[in-house]
Amino acid sequence: MPETQRGKLLRIHVSEHDRFDGKPLYEAIVQKCREMKIAGATVFKGLEGYGRTAEIHRSHLIGHDQPILITIVDSDSQVRKLIPILDDMLDTGLMSVSDVEVMRFQRSLPDQHT
Amino acid sequence: MLSKGPAKRVTIFVNEDTRHGTEPLWRAVFDLLVHKRAAGASVTRPAMGFGSHHKVHSPDMEATMEHLPVRIEFIDAPEKVEELLPTLYDLVTDGMIDVQDTTIVKVAQKEKKPQAKVPHSRTAGAARLLRIFLGEADKWHGEPLYDAIVKKLRMEDIAGATVYKAILGYGAKGHTHKGQSFLHLAHDSPVMISVVDSAVKIKQAVEIAEGMLQDGLVVISDVDIIRLAHPSPMMEVADAGNAAR
Repeated sequence: MPETQRGKLLRIHVSEHDRFDGKPLYEAIVQKCREMKIAGATVFKGLEGYGRTAEIHRSHLIGHDQPILITIVDSDSQVRKLIPILDDMLDTGLMSVSDVEVMRFQRSLPDQHT
Repeated sequence: MLSKGPAKRVTIFVNEDTRHGTEPLWRAVFDLLVHKRAAGASVTRPAMGFGSHHKVHSPDMEATMEHLPVRIEFIDAPEKVEELLPTLYDLVTDGMIDVQDTTIVKVAQKEKKPQAKVPHSRTAGAARLLRIFLGEADKWHGEPLYDAIVKKLRMEDIAGATVYKAILGYGAKGHTHKGQSFLHLAHDSPVMISVVDSAVKIKQAVEIAEGMLQDGLVVISDVDIIRLAHPSPMMEVADAGNAAR
């Protein structure tokens, strides 16, 4: 088994129609992560869900409001730096952090797959 | 019934007309394997052959038709082979016995449930969750990498894997993956594979992923399994019957 590092996994639950500065909140979060040189962020769209506002998020005929999950993995210090910033960006939503072991693989050149 | 894993392959080369008492030697060897409940055996007749005497035996000409070769082959668990070998050693008075280490990759029976599909014995409790982040466009020998990884995990009896497709992301490759954009024909959405199993099995899964990932991220966390759905009771009964054999 390759060497592992201790790290943190941050999950942010928001809704697809949440907006920040005129663009989708999840896009703003990913952009923020990039600015802060966070190792990576991945955005998933859920089929259905519900949350703090107790409304069911689901794809409608007109307009989509599906749940969004953003997964971020980085070192403890990076995630700690990120949390207060994201906290300001989120109106309603949920963030959870868990301890993980991380292995990174980078065998090809960064610009090979553009 | 054989199971996946290390095993031994035994090949016995004899002459068709070598006798053991009143019956052909190959028949005696075969009957012994049946009697001793070896996992299976096959007797084949090679088209031609020669042995220690350097005389070619083939059915083409009457002159070379005698002493035609016969080959008996069976694969069984190492303990079973150890048990059978002394008897075979005594029995084969003229011929050759060869034992090789082999690995059983798959044992499938058509009418019964395949061995690999036996209900998972993992129960509720501590387990590990593995997440593998990769790109949808990553390839493994021409097929999608996520597909190849899931197939390999399945072959190694890892309890289960789920592939998620993301709508946006960035990571090891440094570029933003944006899926399903209307005009983009080349899709490279981020993909995540999640796997839940025991610590030992997750270690095995990490090794599989390590060997196949080009660039990507592998993350492991400790989880508790709350509930594991089992197959229907009828199938379990069928499996119990299978195991009793």
